[in-house]
Amino acid sequence: MLAFLKDRFDIRLGLITIGLLIIGALSVYSAVYDARMADVFHKQIFWICGGLVVLVLLWTMPFRFLQFISYPAYFTSLAMLLAVLLLGKTVSGSTSWFNLGAFRLQPSEFAKITTTLALAQYLSASDVSLRNLKHLAIAAGIALAPITLIMLQPDLGTAVTFGGMFLSILYWGGASRFTLMAIVGPIVVAIAALFGTTAFLIAVVVVGILLFLTRDHNILAAVAFSLTVLIGISVQSIYDGLKPYQQKRIATFLDPSADPLGAGYNILQSKVAIGSGGLFGKGYLHGTQTQLNFIPEQWTDFIFCVPGEEFGFMGAVVVLGLFTALLSRGVTIASIVRNRHSSFLAIGLTGIFAAHIVINIGMALGLMPVIGVPLPFLSYGGSALIASMSIVGILLNLYAHRKEY
Amino acid sequence: MTMQDDIHVYTKRRVLYTVIGVLFTLFVARLYQLQLIYKDEYGKKSEENSIRTIPKDPIRGYLYDRNGRLVVDNRPAFTVTIMPFEFNKKNIPLLATYLNLDPDFIRDRLKKGEQFSRFQPVKIKRDIDFRMLSAIEENRERLPGVDYQIESKRAYTTKANASHILGYAKEISEAQLKMVGDEYVQGDIIGSSGLEAVYEHLLRGKKGAEFSTVNVRGQVVGSFDNGKSDIPSIAGEDLKLTMDFGVQELAESLMIGKTGSIVALDPQDGGVIALVSKPDYDLNVFSGVVSADQWRELNDDPAKPLFNRATLTRYPPGSTFKMIVALAALEHNIQSPSSRIFCTGSFRFGNKVFKDLHVHGSVDMLDAIEKSCNVYFYQLMLKVGIDYWSDMASRFGFGQLSGIDIYEENPGLLPSTEYMNKRYGPKGWTKGFLPSLGIGQGEVGVTPLQMALYASALANEGQYHQPHSVKSFIDKKTNHEDTLAYHTRLITIAPESWNIVREGMRRVVMEAGGTGGAARIKGVEVAGKTGTAQNPHGKDHAWFVGFAPFDHPRIAICVLVENAGFGGTAAAPLAGMCMEQYLFGHLIRFDHPPAATNGSIAQAPAAAQKTRKD
Repeated sequence: MLAFLKDRFDIRLGLITIGLLIIGALSVYSAVYDARMADVFHKQIFWICGGLVVLVLLWTMPFRFLQFISYPAYFTSLAMLLAVLLLGKTVSGSTSWFNLGAFRLQPSEFAKITTTLALAQYLSASDVSLRNLKHLAIAAGIALAPITLIMLQPDLGTAVTFGGMFLSILYWGGASRFTLMAIVGPIVVAIAALFGTTAFLIAVVVVGILLFLTRDHNILAAVAFSLTVLIGISVQSIYDGLKPYQQKRIATFLDPSADPLGAGYNILQSKVAIGSGGLFGKGYLHGTQTQLNFIPEQWTDFIFCVPGEEFGFMGAVVVLGLFTALLSRGVTIASIVRNRHSSFLAIGLTGIFAAHIVINIGMALGLMPVIGVPLPFLSYGGSALIASMSIVGILLNLYAHRKEY
Repeated sequence: MTMQDDIHVYTKRRVLYTVIGVLFTLFVARLYQLQLIYKDEYGKKSEENSIRTIPKDPIRGYLYDRNGRLVVDNRPAFTVTIMPFEFNKKNIPLLATYLNLDPDFIRDRLKKGEQFSRFQPVKIKRDIDFRMLSAIEENRERLPGVDYQIESKRAYTTKANASHILGYAKEISEAQLKMVGDEYVQGDIIGSSGLEAVYEHLLRGKKGAEFSTVNVRGQVVGSFDNGKSDIPSIAGEDLKLTMDFGVQELAESLMIGKTGSIVALDPQDGGVIALVSKPDYDLNVFSGVVSADQWRELNDDPAKPLFNRATLTRYPPGSTFKMIVALAALEHNIQSPSSRIFCTGSFRFGNKVFKDLHVHGSVDMLDAIEKSCNVYFYQLMLKVGIDYWSDMASRFGFGQLSGIDIYEENPGLLPSTEYMNKRYGPKGWTKGFLPSLGIGQGEVGVTPLQMALYASALANEGQYHQPHSVKSFIDKKTNHEDTLAYHTRLITIAPESWNIVREGMRRVVMEAGGTGGAARIKGVEVAGKTGTAQNPHGKDHAWFVGFAPFDHPRIAICVLVENAGFGGTAAAPLAGMCMEQYLFGHLIRFDHPPAATNGSIAQAPAAAQKTRKD
C-alpha cells in the first residue's frame, strides 16, 4: 500500500507545496494582523482548503481526461475572458473580475492552465513540428488569443506570465534558436525604445546580430528583423502620442524612483522592509514595516516582504529554496513522463510558476519594474491560489502516470 | 516518438536546471546585499523612523482679466481630517453632530481612506465654519485622531458672477474619480466646468509631499531628513483672460431680472470681453463643498441657471440676419444696392401674406437695413434663394461650432437645400418657406456667441477669429508667459459689398430714421442691427448686434433679451452701455448732468420711441 502510494505520489512536490502553503498562510496572517482585516486571513484559509480539494481531484482523475478536455477547456476560457471584458468588475482600472456573491473570480488565472493544455495538445500531435512555420504560427495563435484579451483588461502582469509559459514550451519543443530570438527580440527592442533612442539603437543592433547569427533563411531573418524595428518604432511613436499622465505611468514603470509617492513608494518601503530584516529577521509579527502597514495591500503583490522582514535572510533563502526546488521538480517531471502531451504540459505549467516567481520576487527586491503578479502560494487571492494548487494537482497526476505513453 | 526518446531532452533539462540555479543565486546575492551589507542603513530607516508621506496640495492658479485685474484667487479654508489609526470609531456619531454630517458619510470616507493607508489623514469636511472649528478645538481630548488642515478655496474678487465662463472647481466626485484615475484621490479639488475644467491641467499645479518620520507606534517624531527630501508642491499656472471684468460686471447688472445673454468680443483677435448668460448662479456655492440640497436646488430651478444661454441655445435671429441676405445678393450680383422697391406694409406670396409693421414706401438696400424693412428682404430672399443664403451664413460660422475654449456649445441650425429635403421631403417644401428665412425667422437657429462672432466679422470685414477667453498662461515661479495661439480665417467678400452692409449698419444707429439709435455713444460712431424675433414661447426676443468705433472697431457685441419685445428698445441700450464701458473704462454718459448729454441713456427711451419698428 505504502509502496503503491510512493509510486503514485511525488512526495517531494507534495512537501514543497505544503511548506509554501504554511509560509503563505503565516505571511498573510502577519500582513493583516494589525490592519484590522482579519477577514482576508479567514478567506485565505478557506481558499487553501478549497485548493486542497481541487488538488486531490486533479491528482486522482483519469490521466487521459486531461488530453480529452484540452481544447474544450481552452475555448471555455476564451469565452470567459471575453465575457469578463464585457460584464466584469473593474478593480484599480483593470476589468478582470467576475463577481460571484462574496467572492470574485479572475478567469485569466485559469486561462493560463487551459492555454498550456491546448498548446500541449496541439504540439503533441506526431505530425506537428515547431520547425514548421505554419505549425509555429498556429501555436503562437493559441497563445496570443488569451494574451490579447488579457492585455485589453488591461493586465500586463498576467499577460507576461503567458510569455514565460510559451517560451518554455517553445524551447522544450525544439523550436530553433532563431524562433526564440524572433520572439524575445521585439520585446527587448520595444522596452528599450521606451528608454530612449540610444537604448533603442543598441537593442536593434544586438538583436539584429543575434537574428542573423541564428538564421536559417535570409529572407525570414530580414522579415523578423524588419518587424522588430517596426515594433520598436511604433512603440516609440505611440509613447510620444500619449498624454503626459500616461507617459508618467510608463516612466514610473521603468523607474519607480521617478514617482516616490506612487509605485516608487512601495518599492522603497519594500526594500526597507526586506533590508531591515537582517540575518534572522525581527521575529514573527514583529516586523515594524509589516505591522505598521507601510506597504499598501502588502498581502497581495508584496507578500515576500513579510518573510523577508520577520525571518530575515535565513527565512527569505528558505522561501527562495522552496521555489527553486518547485521549479526544478517541474522540469524533472517534464523530462521523465513518457507521454508527449504530459511533457509539454509539465514544462508549460512550470514556466507559469517561473514567470510569477521571478517577476514578483524581482519586484520586491527592486530588481524588476513594478508589475502586479501574485507570488504562488503566498499572495492573498482565491483565483491565483486555486490556480497554483491546480497546477500542482496536474503535475502530481502526470507524475503518477509517468510511465504511460 | 516520445519525449524520452529524444536525447536532447537531457541537454535541455540541464540547461533549465542551470537557468533556475543562476536565478536562485542572483536573488540570494541580492538578498545578501540588502539584508547583510545594507542592513544598518535599512534597519535604521525602519527601526527609529519609518517614513510617512503627507501630500501637500498646490496653490491653484489665479485668473486675471485683460487689464491685469485679479478676478479669481484663493482664500484659506479649514478642512477637518481624521488620522485613521489614532481615531476611535465609537466617536463617529459625536463628530457627525459637531460637523453636521451623516455618520454613514464619515464611516464611508474613513473606510475608503483606510484602504489606502491607515497612516494618512482622511479629509472629512472642507471649508468648515468658525463654530465647527471651535467645537473641534474644544473637544480635541475626546476626539483623538481628529485634526484640521488649512487649505485654500476659490474666492471671487469681483461683483460679477461670470459663472458660465469661469466655471467651478469643487471636491472630486466618485464618478469623476473613476474617470480620471490615479491622478487624483478622494478629497482633491478638480475643475468641473468652464475654464476651471478646460484648464484644469494648468491651474492645478503639482502636489508635493512632506516626509515625516514616525516611531514604531506610528506617532510622528519629526520631519524626515530635516525636510531635505520633501517635495515642494508646484503652484498652478495663472491664466490671463481676454475678458474685461468692468464690462462683465456692468453687463450682468444690466441683465438683472432678465433672461438672455450678452456676448462681447474683441474683433481684432476674437478674445471674449464679456460673456453673460442670465439667470446665472453664484460660484461661491461650489467653492467649498456642494451639498446635495444646494446642487438639487440649482439643477431643478425652472429658470435653469446652470444652462449657458450664450452658447447652448438655439434662438431665431430675426432681423439681425438681414445682412446675410444682403451680402449674398451683392456677392452674386443678384440685385443692385441702388435698385428700389415699394413697401406697402405687407407682401403677398402665393396665398400667404407676409407682414411688415410699417409702410416704408420706396426703399433701396441701405434704407432697408437702416429701417429694417421686411418687405424688401422678403423679395430679396426669393431672388437669392436658399443655397446662396445658406452658403453666406455658413461662411460666418452659423450652423457650426465656434471652437470657444469652454467647450460647451451648440452648433445651432442653418437650413440648406439638403436639410429641407431631408426634413420635409424633396417635394414637401416650396419657395414659400423663403420669405421667413429672409428676416431670420423660420428654421434658422443661432446662439448669442455666433451672433457676436457675426458682428465681429462684420466689424473687421471678414476676419473670423476663433473665440477664446484665455490669452496666455503664466508660470508663477519663473513669470514665463506662454501665449496661446488661435486660428483665424478670412471670409472673402468684395470690399464694395462690405461697404454697403457696414454703411447700412452705421445708419441703423447713427441716422435719425434707424432702429438702433438707443445704442449711440457720445463721440463714437457705432454700427449695429436690431432684431425682434418671434418665437413660440411668448413675447418676442429682443436682439442687438453691433460694433464700435465704426472705422477701427475695438468691440463687437451681441445682446439678447428673451421675451422683452423690440430689439431697438430692449437690447440696443444695453449694447451701447457695454461698449461705452469698454471703450472708456467707465460710463461717460454719467460724467455730465443728464441735460448736457447727447444720445445718452436719458435719451434712450426717446430714441426708442422714435424708432418706429425694429
